[in-house]
Amino acid sequence: MKNAGLVALSLIALALAVILGPTSVPLRDLIHSPIVRDLRVPRALLGLLVGGALGVSGAGLQALVRNPLADPFLMGLSGGAGLGAVGAIALHLSGPWALPLAAFLGALAAMALVYRLGLVAGATLDPRILLLAGVVVGSFAAAISTAIVSLSEAEQLRNAMLWLWGGLSGASWTTVLVMLIYLPVPLVILVASARPLDLMALGDEPAAYLGADVARVRRRVYLAASLLTAAAVAVSGVIGFVGLIVPHIGRLIWGHRHRALIPVSFLGGGILLMLSDTLARTMVAPRELPVGIVTALIGVPAFAVLLRRWVGARA
Amino acid sequence: MACAGSRKPSTPKFSVVDDAGRTVGLSGSALRVVSLAPSSTELLFAVGAGPQVVGRTTWCRYPAAALAVPVVGDGLDPNLEAVAATHPDLVVLYRSPSNGTAITQLDQLGIKSVVLRQDLLVDVARDARLLGTLTGHQVAGDSIARLLDSLSALPAAAARARVAIVVWDNPPIVIGGGSFLDELGRLAGAQNVFHDLPQASATVSLESIASRNPDFIAVVDDSSASNTPSFARRPEWRAVPAVRAGHIIHLPGTLFGRPSPRAAEAVAAYARLLNGTK
Repeated sequence: MKNAGLVALSLIALALAVILGPTSVPLRDLIHSPIVRDLRVPRALLGLLVGGALGVSGAGLQALVRNPLADPFLMGLSGGAGLGAVGAIALHLSGPWALPLAAFLGALAAMALVYRLGLVAGATLDPRILLLAGVVVGSFAAAISTAIVSLSEAEQLRNAMLWLWGGLSGASWTTVLVMLIYLPVPLVILVASARPLDLMALGDEPAAYLGADVARVRRRVYLAASLLTAAAVAVSGVIGFVGLIVPHIGRLIWGHRHRALIPVSFLGGGILLMLSDTLARTMVAPRELPVGIVTALIGVPAFAVLLRRWVGARA
Repeated sequence: MACAGSRKPSTPKFSVVDDAGRTVGLSGSALRVVSLAPSSTELLFAVGAGPQVVGRTTWCRYPAAALAVPVVGDGLDPNLEAVAATHPDLVVLYRSPSNGTAITQLDQLGIKSVVLRQDLLVDVARDARLLGTLTGHQVAGDSIARLLDSLSALPAAAARARVAIVVWDNPPIVIGGGSFLDELGRLAGAQNVFHDLPQASATVSLESIASRNPDFIAVVDDSSASNTPSFARRPEWRAVPAVRAGHIIHLPGTLFGRPSPRAAEAVAAYARLLNGTK
């Protein structure tokens, strides 16, 4: 029932994202309109994929560091991506894919650095060190970006910052295809880690007694979640709140078992981002709001309502 | 130069109201001027006050003579020590919230400052008069102002093409009705398809650029080579017919990057570009 509702909701969100837009396209022209075919449909699908990637990444990281505040961008990836993007613009790297590639590489570099720092205490990633390393690496990268921005002619680089705030205007069939090829591997890794993640919620020692290879699971989950985030930030910048709030909503309704939570976070993230982007495109048309603002405006009240109901039901 | 350092309180000889609404009084023509905006540097040189400019920003590169002036740093949130070290009797700042502190601190240092907001052609005209008055080049300032005022009072040229001026591609940012680029287009016969937006520039959805279907995409471009901007090769931009057809106009940054006393030259160049691409 819950599952059918979630699938129905994602289809509704997808339909709304295709039907609604700043230009009014009559329903009967929907199939033939180049605007719908080349802009709206890929943008809606990219919203589903990016929102899904962020939702799953958030669910994985929250379990990994056992901290409800964990968010895909907490671990320094946004700082690394930002430094990549700002560097690409400052070095005048041109080419249609220079910016997303530079951001992706920046995010990967931050991921590698945080991962290495997380291993200082041995083969087991220490969640506390991981969090600390993420925040430190992120701040370091942000400081370098800010230095570059403040020393360069401001205009272009301020626009780079705008890009980083997130948005789906770079959507095309090419980006959708790239994501479709890229996403399955990290997603499958996370789904396969569902059972050990459940065990790890009991604590490292009990999990190990019950057969989980804690050190290996941690490394895998960290890398897979970070790879999801790095792809998301490369195609759409830093879109906040999806990865933070969607897993919590999932836990409130579906419980803590990761076998359900991971697919639910994927669809939930996709729904939230598709609905938010539809609003971002249409509310102030022809202008557009940064989608990260809308995800917060929708996600936070939705979370508050659910939290009240949940706490109320337990009391 | 003998009077340059003397700052005894006396009844000001000139008094103007600047674009922040402050009254600025000088006891004589400003002889040592620091200009903290490329637009005001250009204007100072245009009214003939170039030799009086003793400091500029890194980005003040026009006219070529300005390059000989020492750099005092950036224009927004400026380095006041470097500014004060030039012993200016007038500092020209751009009107921006990030200059608020600098203006107060200059007041405390006893250095006169004037705040200008050059966004539209009428602003350039008003500021040409104002800077002409303060630097003792009233006649030149007035004649530039009259030229610009008549230019902006001209009726719109018959629209020869519909244009979207793209300043950034992701998210797409276009020039709206509140920009001098919109004014220049109106005079050159290039109708801005986003004229209805009151802002100088705004983030819009790519879909609205595609559906408003401009004949040309214009970009302000500093590179001399008129190569295709890289966004034009991105698949989502191919949904805009003008991009697909390669109808891209390059407006050179030195002439179109900011409102300037060379607006008439810019209008003529714009019109030529429209003709050349047809």
